[in-house]
Amino acid sequence: MLKVLIPTLMLFPTTWLAPKKWLWATTTSHSLIIALISLTWLNWTAETGWTLPNSYMAIDPLSAPLLVLACWLLPLMILASQNHTRTEPISRQRTFICLLISLQAFLILAFGATEILMFYVMFEATLVPTLIIITRWGNQAERLNAGTYFLFYTLAGSLPLLVALLALQNSTGSLSMIILNFNPPLALASWGDMMWWAACLIAFLVKMPLYGVHLWLPKAHVEAPIAGSMVLAAVLLKLGGYGMIRMSTILDPITKEAAYPFIVLALWGIIMTGSICLRQTDLKSLIAYSSVSHMGLVAGGILIQTPWGLTGALILMIAHGLVSSALFCLANTSYERTHSRTMALARGMQMLFPLTATWWFVANLANLALPPLPNLMGEVMIITTMFNWSPWTLILTGLGTLITAGYSLYMFLMTQRGPVPEHIKGLTPYHTREHLLITLHLLPVILLVLKPELIWGWFY
Amino acid sequence: MVNFVALVREHWMQALVPFGIVMGLYLDRWNDNRLTAFRNKSALYSRELKPGEEVTWK
Amino acid sequence: MSPLVLVVLLSSLGLGTAMTFASSHWLLAWMGLEINTLAILPLMAQQNHPRAMEATTKYFLIQATAAAMILFASTTNAWASGQWDITYPSHPVTATITMAALAMKIGLAPTHFWLPEVLQGVSLTTGLILSTWQKLAPFALILQVANYTPPYMLTALALCSTLVGGWGGLNQTQLRKILAYSSIAHLGWMILVAQMAPQLTLIALITYIVMTTAAFLTLNNMDATKTATLASSWTKSPTLTAMACLVLLSLGGLPPLTGFLPKWLILQEVTNQGFIPTATVMALSALLSLYFYLRLTYAMSLTLFPHTFNSVTPWRMTAKRPTLLLSTTIIMTTCLLPLTPSALTLLI
Repeated sequence: MLKVLIPTLMLFPTTWLAPKKWLWATTTSHSLIIALISLTWLNWTAETGWTLPNSYMAIDPLSAPLLVLACWLLPLMILASQNHTRTEPISRQRTFICLLISLQAFLILAFGATEILMFYVMFEATLVPTLIIITRWGNQAERLNAGTYFLFYTLAGSLPLLVALLALQNSTGSLSMIILNFNPPLALASWGDMMWWAACLIAFLVKMPLYGVHLWLPKAHVEAPIAGSMVLAAVLLKLGGYGMIRMSTILDPITKEAAYPFIVLALWGIIMTGSICLRQTDLKSLIAYSSVSHMGLVAGGILIQTPWGLTGALILMIAHGLVSSALFCLANTSYERTHSRTMALARGMQMLFPLTATWWFVANLANLALPPLPNLMGEVMIITTMFNWSPWTLILTGLGTLITAGYSLYMFLMTQRGPVPEHIKGLTPYHTREHLLITLHLLPVILLVLKPELIWGWFY
Repeated sequence: MVNFVALVREHWMQALVPFGIVMGLYLDRWNDNRLTAFRNKSALYSRELKPGEEVTWK
Repeated sequence: MSPLVLVVLLSSLGLGTAMTFASSHWLLAWMGLEINTLAILPLMAQQNHPRAMEATTKYFLIQATAAAMILFASTTNAWASGQWDITYPSHPVTATITMAALAMKIGLAPTHFWLPEVLQGVSLTTGLILSTWQKLAPFALILQVANYTPPYMLTALALCSTLVGGWGGLNQTQLRKILAYSSIAHLGWMILVAQMAPQLTLIALITYIVMTTAAFLTLNNMDATKTATLASSWTKSPTLTAMACLVLLSLGGLPPLTGFLPKWLILQEVTNQGFIPTATVMALSALLSLYFYLRLTYAMSLTLFPHTFNSVTPWRMTAKRPTLLLSTTIIMTTCLLPLTPSALTLLI
């Protein structure tokens, strides 16, 4: 663990001491080195369930892919923010990079924690840098509203979780994830126990976000600067899924009936948010709602609690993390040129930027789960496990897939195809940096086709 | 020579992250050894090391 | 104010508090409180301004009333039991009256109405003394009396204070009033565990004093008493502006910062005692306070003034004010959470 955590902390002084000219190159390359080192976590040689333990942290096959994803995102975020922060004074650029780094440090501590309370504290700790990124570096005045929504939705969900965790600690005597798996099932019968059960899940369902408590997400995504959108879509939402998988091992006894309303909401959310995407004019908002739709599938897969469901959820989380982050990057590159998120104003980009159109094409195909890609693997596993649970869910999940294909096509046609309007002919060409950024997003997705067991979690 | 001094003065902070990596690797290894020191000797887990194997717990 | 008078006043301020700390006799404790009150009054009134006079008068009346109630309760107690001892298990009625008087003294809801008005009337440094040092002596008594008061009273005071503190601050633009409401909310957290775990009250009090010192000194450094003034604070000290954002979030109790420490420990204690609904309401009421802290961070750090600054920004000049205490408390306000185990070992 420390081989990544300590260099991550060392990035702080590096950021502040690096010469002005070398700031971005230094931080990008060093964080990329750290990301490459974190890849060693995927190499699973242990016979045991957890490896690399120290007093507070350990890695198991569930957290390893998410940890690597969190580390992988930092160089990409730094790469993506270069243009956005170009006009700022140098000390603010350094502060911005420091916020991104602190986010990575908190994420490593959150995914690596073996104590649920430690996970909780770090889960909350990510709020502060994210809040500052959204509200300090966002573009429109609505960002203040978005920040408030983001903070209060998450906190209102997670403060009951804190009380629930403390109550659990009181009754079991420990909150260690390693030990809790071996506890005898809790006898949950009363209404109070049901409330406790709900409190344990709702914080993560808000973070996922579940349809119904998702309103903070599109706002935050639309208003955040590109790095904020990326990390939110790629990793922060996955904190919710990860927490749910961890908690559900403890919540087992009454999950069966009590989870129905949440599963229903998750499945219904796939249809609803997908439909919202179909009539969306704002590019970033469309991608944000598509995130909600995909995460609904993940929530369903986790709540079903079968090996296939959990595996599918983990695969979809990783694949969606990379792909939605790539889509946000693409949206941002076009936003930086046209200064508008409205799709109708930036059409026919294929004529101007053919290579970028290719990236759009690949990212869209990945988003709608084209066959060999891990997105399909995850979706099919979840859909199968839902079908096994109740055949009727196929109507919802199948329709959801169809709608996903529909809005992905809509997004692609709207932005890339058609005649080029007169007003966008003088756009600056794409930088190599931007192509590299998208490549680094899409390459892992494509490579994971070859060895998907890296992200299969416990059940490989 | 002067160039080298200038290089060090301007870029010494580039060594921080590699230093962190080395330190982290060292601490990880130290911790592994500490946690598994007993396990190699315990009656339950001890076994003959296979050729090319360093520890029984990996 | 001449230095000589100031020294006399400050030392009797210390003397009063120390006397209350050290006394086991109600009369001495009461005298300590009175000396304390009398010493702060000239400090509050030193700006010759109607608002300051009004604040001083209000403060004097409230403190005198509370002290009279304490005197009444302790004489009744002595009359009934023949004892002036503070820790002597007295009659529940006298204990309740004493607790009510002490709650009034520190400004717990529902006897909190004087606090925002008084703080608004005095300067930031005097306000700092009012909301930190002046809480110490009453808390020394509260911790001794809490065992004999009905537990429902403490819980009711606590819930009332956190909710009122949260709601009251929502509509404020005056910084000193906001800090007063934040003080009320924090006092609610402290009083909640005064009976179950007095050590946690102490931890909460200490962290509150540190955090609120950082907040007051920050505002003092920026010469800001209104939210609108905060908007130009980045021109005065960019670093302080950035850190002030964290200080405010720490006051709001967001996890990686110190403010989460007392909340966490108190929630844990309350949950362990089985009062889970109380714990949940307390936790959620912290969101109310967080909202106005968040609004302050928006006004101060997270938005920039839209137009460019025409003159030289003041941060380029050398700062004249002493900042040692400010920087120390800011660091403590942001970084103490990992030291929770040490805090527990020190104080429990």
